[in-house]
Amino acid sequence: MIAALKRSVLIWPAMLLIVALYLVPSFDVIRSSLFDPDLTTRHIDRLIDRPVFMTVFWRTVQTSLIVAFAGALIAWPVAYFINAQPRRSQFLLIFLIFIPLWMSVLIRSYAWLVVLGRDGVVNSAMLGMGLTTEPVQMLFTPAAVQLAMLQILLPIQIVTTYGAMTEIDLDLMRAARILGARQGQALRRVFIPLSFDGAMTGMIIAFMLSMGFFITPALLGGPRDRMLGNLIEVQVAQLNWGFASALGLLLLFGTLGCVIVLRFCGRMALRVLK
Amino acid sequence: MDRQRTLGSVLLSAWFWLIVVFMVFPIFVIIPLSFGSGDLLQFPPQQYGLRWYHAYINDPLWMQATWLSFKIALISGVIATITGTMAVIALERHLGRSRVAFTYLITSPIIVPHIFIALGIFIFALRNGLSGSQMLLIGAHAMVALPFVVLIIGASYRQIDPTIERAARVLGAGPMRAFMVATFPSLMPAGVAAFVFAFFVSFDELIIAQFLLKGTETLPMRIWANLQLDISPTVAAVASLLIVVTTVAMAGAEILRRRATQKLAD
Amino acid sequence: MQRLLRTTAVGVTASMLMSAAVSADTLVLSTSGGVVAEATMKYFVPAFEKETGWKVQQVSAEGTRMAEIEAMVRAGNPVWDVSEISASNYPIGVQRGLLEEVNYELVDPEGLLPEIARAKYGVVTASYSTVLMQNTAKSPEGKLMTTWADFWDTETFPGPRSLREGPEYNLEFALLADGVAIDDLYTVLATPEGIDRAFDKLGEIRESIPVWWTSGAQSVQLLTDGEVIYATNYNGRASAMVKAGIPISIMWNGGALHTTYLGIVKGTKNLEAAHAYLRVRATNTESQREYLNFLPYPGSAPGLLESLPQEVAEQLPTYPANLAGQYVANEEFWAANIEALRERWDEWLLE
Repeated sequence: MIAALKRSVLIWPAMLLIVALYLVPSFDVIRSSLFDPDLTTRHIDRLIDRPVFMTVFWRTVQTSLIVAFAGALIAWPVAYFINAQPRRSQFLLIFLIFIPLWMSVLIRSYAWLVVLGRDGVVNSAMLGMGLTTEPVQMLFTPAAVQLAMLQILLPIQIVTTYGAMTEIDLDLMRAARILGARQGQALRRVFIPLSFDGAMTGMIIAFMLSMGFFITPALLGGPRDRMLGNLIEVQVAQLNWGFASALGLLLLFGTLGCVIVLRFCGRMALRVLK
Repeated sequence: MDRQRTLGSVLLSAWFWLIVVFMVFPIFVIIPLSFGSGDLLQFPPQQYGLRWYHAYINDPLWMQATWLSFKIALISGVIATITGTMAVIALERHLGRSRVAFTYLITSPIIVPHIFIALGIFIFALRNGLSGSQMLLIGAHAMVALPFVVLIIGASYRQIDPTIERAARVLGAGPMRAFMVATFPSLMPAGVAAFVFAFFVSFDELIIAQFLLKGTETLPMRIWANLQLDISPTVAAVASLLIVVTTVAMAGAEILRRRATQKLAD
Repeated sequence: MQRLLRTTAVGVTASMLMSAAVSADTLVLSTSGGVVAEATMKYFVPAFEKETGWKVQQVSAEGTRMAEIEAMVRAGNPVWDVSEISASNYPIGVQRGLLEEVNYELVDPEGLLPEIARAKYGVVTASYSTVLMQNTAKSPEGKLMTTWADFWDTETFPGPRSLREGPEYNLEFALLADGVAIDDLYTVLATPEGIDRAFDKLGEIRESIPVWWTSGAQSVQLLTDGEVIYATNYNGRASAMVKAGIPISIMWNGGALHTTYLGIVKGTKNLEAAHAYLRVRATNTESQREYLNFLPYPGSAPGLLESLPQEVAEQLPTYPANLAGQYVANEEFWAANIEALRERWDEWLLE
């Protein structure tokens, strides 16, 4: 790696940021907690001994997978649509996609309270139409959390997928059609494999971000919908740095492991597609 | 076959607009909330008025926080986009076998809880007498945004046909010029998207700012302080104003651009 | 490109050297921000500045406060001099050695403060309560709960309710509902059977609790939106809802009384000025009375309660009628047991 660094000056500024503001500081936190005062495996043991943490971890993985996968399926046609427009309108459509980002995550969660609540828009409509006689509990369910997370993460998935699509040579599609492929075939054989990388990247970003969520599950989820981020918050509030960083390490390595598996599955899927 | 195609594109555009509505619907809740005149977020508001817009515009704390956030997001967004683009080129061209390791390293801040990064940088700042430094916060935000830039631009970069740049080199262009002419234009859309994303990563970031800044506040810090004691509709007014202002600015820029091209055509 | 790199590096180094330094004779004070900061700036800071000639720089911190103090103390460079310390943070601060011992010769030389306000590592500046709030418009036939046993009675009082997410004070509420007397609360909780009993009791009600709140603001929102009819909260939150036309009634009986502190960060260079600020904040009756117009969290300044109009006084947690049914939350108990109880709580919630 050192030799590689010498070869490429271009990566130095990025490495400066990463080393000075991320590696050194994170190391400091982990060290000060693992060696407190001497090297101890107490926190790691606790993590392994009590089932609750692993249960929450797996639920976090599950929720993140659902959100990232659903997001990828939703985002792909949206990105395709934008990419099919004339260049100038593309810019405006992307701007549209970015509008929700001006609203802080907190206030967007309140919007969901208004929509899904017992006195909320959906329940009032259903009561009014006689679809139900009692308000349906929609808030504080896994579905509410997933819906809200999807809403927050969709912009980045759409934009990543779109960014990769812009570089696909549409002549390839035309060529395939001239050579007798039907629209669907050309799409499946040429366009989808070529745009796969972007969609996969978008899905992985969304997955990684979901793993660290804590505000949305706290505001819109029930007691069983809490995620690893919520447990870390609680430990930090009590100044349990040791255990909090043990949970952080679980989050870090768990996510990395999942990403490796996801990438592998992605490559397999691509091979099947081709 | 053509009928099939039109049906397909109608469905596609319907899907697009459906998803846009899904993403922007909070506006339809937040804008009415912002015109409420009560002390609490109540939907629908009991009385309407401009009380919270006045509160926002006339409160120097809110205004300073907004400008500070803009400034920090802009600078850190530019830094992240430039360093990230350079990193992508290095990763794809020069690093060979170490590419995977470096990619994981550079993108890993995404999954580290911000609270860890925040605490680490805070300790670093205290040791070096940098507590309260806005530059340090800008650097931290650029670092947090770097993974997004690298991922977004990287996905786009891998689709670019390298032969064009090679052709430019063969035709006698220097490496910098060949890159600017052949590859750079193709990276622009992804570059803009990455910058906008980096901007928002910083604009929405609370925890690191809370640890680093003393005496001054960013917008998320102001919103957070406000939510701690009283959830006042100022928060809704801020969001509505930001959306309206940027939409008007964007529409204005578009109209100006169209006029300019029309004049040229005349 | 090389040149660009070099310029960037120089620029970054230069700006890092320009970090702001706090000038001498400025006391750095950490408060909760928002209304608290506003009221502090208006009523306490001028009195202090006039008396001592020092300036005050206020910083707002809430969620990250203790983490920041710990990092400062460990780094040996306390940036703050004085900080508000919440009830639940006080024992943590003491255990970790983050606070200076208060010298009451300087803070309260005439002995005007009641003994309960003179804590060893911080002076008590305010009292507040975790109490049950009920939306009387939604409660069946406007009936009101008067005891924690009522909260558990889902026949008479059906409908969704909410408690804070965490074992603190909820275990006490459960034991009170189960018939334990206030004086025995912490002796019962000190035994494993007592803790089992509290968790079992909470198990009876959990199906009626769709959501456990994590911030006072969230609890307000749940009551405002009609998402729940009954929810605990900090007493000061009620007035905003009442003003917005939501009929909220506070059940003082069985509430948990907390005290908040003003502490001096360990290792501060401005020890004397810090003590002077503590004195002004804790003993200035006039400023404390004005402060109550902003927030119903009374201090212990001499003669404060007596000098208030009736309608203000009866909103306060320390008003005799309100005080009667409350228990004093034992923060030492919580600091000592929170780790184990939190873990059990997390497991219990997931069951």
